[in-house]
Amino acid sequence: MDGAYRTGPFGRSLAWVTALYLVLPILIVVPVALTDQRFLSLPQEGISFRHFGTVLGSAEWLGSIWQSFTIAVAATVLSVTAGTLCAIGCWRISRRATELVRVLMLLPLIIPSIVYAIGLYRYFGPLGLLDRFLGVAIAHGVTGIPYVVITVSTALAAFDPRLEQAARGMGASLSQTLRWVILPRIAPGIFSGAIFAFIHSWDELVMVLFIASRQVFTLPRRIWDGINENLDPAMAAVAVLLILFTLLLLMADRALRRRSEGG
Amino acid sequence: MSAAGRPGVGWWLLILPAFLLLVAFYIAPIVQVLAISVTEPEPGFGNYERILTSSAVQRVIFTTLRICIITTALALLLGYAIAYAITLARPVARGWWILAVLVPLWISVLVRAFAWVTLLRRQGLVNNALIGAGLIEEPLPLVWNEFGIVVGMVHYMVPFAVLPMLASMREIDPRLLAAARGLGASRGEVFRRVFLPLSMPGVIASGVLVFIFSLGFYITPAILGGGKTLMVAEWISLQILDLIRWGLGTMMATMLVVAILVTLAIFSRVVDLRRIFGAGA
Amino acid sequence: MNEAKGHALSLRGLSKKYGEFVAVSDVSLEVGRGEFLTLLGPSGSGKTTILMAVAGFVAPSAGAILLDGRDITPLPPEKRDFGMVFQGYALFPHMTVAENVTFPLRVRGMSRAERDAKVRGALDLVQLGAFADRLPKQLSGGQQQRVALARALVFDPALLLLDEPLSALDKKLRAELQEELKALHQRVGRTFVNVTHDQEEALSLSDRIAILNHGRLVQAGAPGELYERPRTRFVADFLGKSNFLDGMVHGATASGFALEAGAVRVAVRLPDGAAAPPEGARTLLSLRPEKVALLAEDEGAENIAEGRILSFAYLGAGFSLRVATEHLGEIRAVLPAWKAPIAPAEGLPVRLGWAADAAVPVLEDAA
Repeated sequence: MDGAYRTGPFGRSLAWVTALYLVLPILIVVPVALTDQRFLSLPQEGISFRHFGTVLGSAEWLGSIWQSFTIAVAATVLSVTAGTLCAIGCWRISRRATELVRVLMLLPLIIPSIVYAIGLYRYFGPLGLLDRFLGVAIAHGVTGIPYVVITVSTALAAFDPRLEQAARGMGASLSQTLRWVILPRIAPGIFSGAIFAFIHSWDELVMVLFIASRQVFTLPRRIWDGINENLDPAMAAVAVLLILFTLLLLMADRALRRRSEGG
Repeated sequence: MSAAGRPGVGWWLLILPAFLLLVAFYIAPIVQVLAISVTEPEPGFGNYERILTSSAVQRVIFTTLRICIITTALALLLGYAIAYAITLARPVARGWWILAVLVPLWISVLVRAFAWVTLLRRQGLVNNALIGAGLIEEPLPLVWNEFGIVVGMVHYMVPFAVLPMLASMREIDPRLLAAARGLGASRGEVFRRVFLPLSMPGVIASGVLVFIFSLGFYITPAILGGGKTLMVAEWISLQILDLIRWGLGTMMATMLVVAILVTLAIFSRVVDLRRIFGAGA
Repeated sequence: MNEAKGHALSLRGLSKKYGEFVAVSDVSLEVGRGEFLTLLGPSGSGKTTILMAVAGFVAPSAGAILLDGRDITPLPPEKRDFGMVFQGYALFPHMTVAENVTFPLRVRGMSRAERDAKVRGALDLVQLGAFADRLPKQLSGGQQQRVALARALVFDPALLLLDEPLSALDKKLRAELQEELKALHQRVGRTFVNVTHDQEEALSLSDRIAILNHGRLVQAGAPGELYERPRTRFVADFLGKSNFLDGMVHGATASGFALEAGAVRVAVRLPDGAAAPPEGARTLLSLRPEKVALLAEDEGAENIAEGRILSFAYLGAGFSLRVATEHLGEIRAVLPAWKAPIAPAEGLPVRLGWAADAAVPVLEDAA
């Protein structure tokens, strides 16, 4: 907006305080992770990287990181495949029934994960999926579908339906149209959806608390135990690593979107 | 004429995998939860009677509602200030403000809860700093109580509050504000009489979003409440995992879903669901 | 190329309803081999729906579409083998010009060498050989339009469908591309079906024009025939401009009749084979403004109307006059500047004249 109208002093201060409230507590874990002390505190004599060393040298932490990563990758593949196809189908058919499907796809965002988690706890038992890689990947993959449906639907909204008609008119089959015309055009949207689905699985705790116990022990689960049992600076080091990783993913997403908008 | 021709069966097949996955692995487990609430320990509405008879159940519901209302109010106030600042900021500054909202949004809720514990516990950074500065003698009880829960939850919810409000503020024509000033309104009047009323749809959408997210929130209240202040989600988990009272746990889960769906239904006329959630991604 | 490449299309009783709304109502039309047919009508006349039905994007509610006598109504678009130029062109923005033109060949699984040769040929046909590696957005509107043409022709389609192919271009470019399109049609000798709302484009491009209104086919024929012999008031009004004279038929014979309007009679000579309207019937005449002459003092004509100039406009090549007459209402005349016997001025009394075969009887359109 132009200079004709600006925030007043009260509005501006409140915005600043809120921004600091949002960002500072997250940043505070950085000095804490670099402390030279054995307990959670700010650095006293100097900074030290030994708590990072502790985490990266621990088979338990590394094991959980690897497990979380592989689960997130599997879940993302599931979410992206199902979500992308669904969004394209709904977009093309665009009837009342597909509107219903799209609303249905939003349910995992609306219904609290605690409700789903206790449901899964009972449901997975007879299926033998409790405490299994596959079980967690399915749970995360299914609940990740909404993110993909949303980002892909947004990308499709900007897609000219005549391109699809043009392709069909020139003799392209459904799968040729998908592969050569639709997917290349909405790739940035799919990629965004993939990043969000990945972060969703990577951070997910509530379901894991119920459907996993020993065999599957993801990173969020280990952090949860850490917070509840021993608050030590290694936890802060993990937190810092996680923050860096998330920022990296978000930057990748931004860069890709900018490229697709600019190109 | 309609641009769509006649979509063949192939297009419906595209929807099928997601639909089947959702029905088999999402809807089915949740329907089972609803079913258990009226079948265990014995068939009937015995579990639901507890809402009227058990003071423990009532206490959990009231605690949850109280915390959710306080959280929603605070998140709306702070979120409004940020959304307002973003709307009126110059393009470069706007980028930074948006970053301040989006980064917390995507950082793990566990990391954030952990950061608040580090800051607020008895030997935490805030208490140490206050004691070090000689302002207090004894550490203040900042966490493992309702205060801690609200601090952590508001922190989590502000970004969700900002996005719908921002979307609706961006639709306000800046010329209206300039016109109002040109007609002699003071800045405060322009805000009260023009900007605020025009941004109300966004405020309502944000309020609904934050409120329903807060109702079933588990992780932050569990960590920052320290087991002393129970909200619904943690109470459900306690019933199922520790007390093995499936009937009670699923009853409360059902109530939770009903409360959320009723809230959405009431506001569905004012609020476009798809738009809210579209804005969140 | 040769004439045999063209295919014949026929529409039999084609209708399309969207719920209660009738977009196309019982349209039957024959398109001959190698013919350039234009579907002309205002927006909402159903012309695009017909084209989309021919292309297979819209399923007709009733009727059939036949290609060389074979019913293709149930075929999906990709099985019809029609080339199509979309409104706004619908070029794939992520593919280069060459990739766009290759697309229909690629989906047919044609070998690379064969593809390359055909694409080169198609791009040369539209004089865009040098632009093969550009992206569509790096081209001007006219160039994009030609890429769309090359893409629609490269796979030797049975039929070329054009949906308002020139509407996105500015006026000057449009005139230029009209000529190019006409020349292209002659070169490739294929059947073209074009949709437009621009009557000038329709007149200059087409072998035949089908005029549509409210989903109905009003009249079809060669451009000259439609212009000279409009069947209804709508056709006369939509294709060019027209004066309408209202009156009663008097003294009908095989070769003509007189239209009685107030105190005057307008002589009408009918072309061979045309039937006169019944004696005493109320009838409407269409009189083209350029067929009305401004008469000099002593000049005579088969029909003469006296009046005063209401207004006039200088058009460069000529004048346009609005003349108020006593019995025939307002008559518009367009005359070449060099042929005007007097200098027009408002209020000036004038005599208008026209030949007995200049005015043609037209029907009122059914509502």
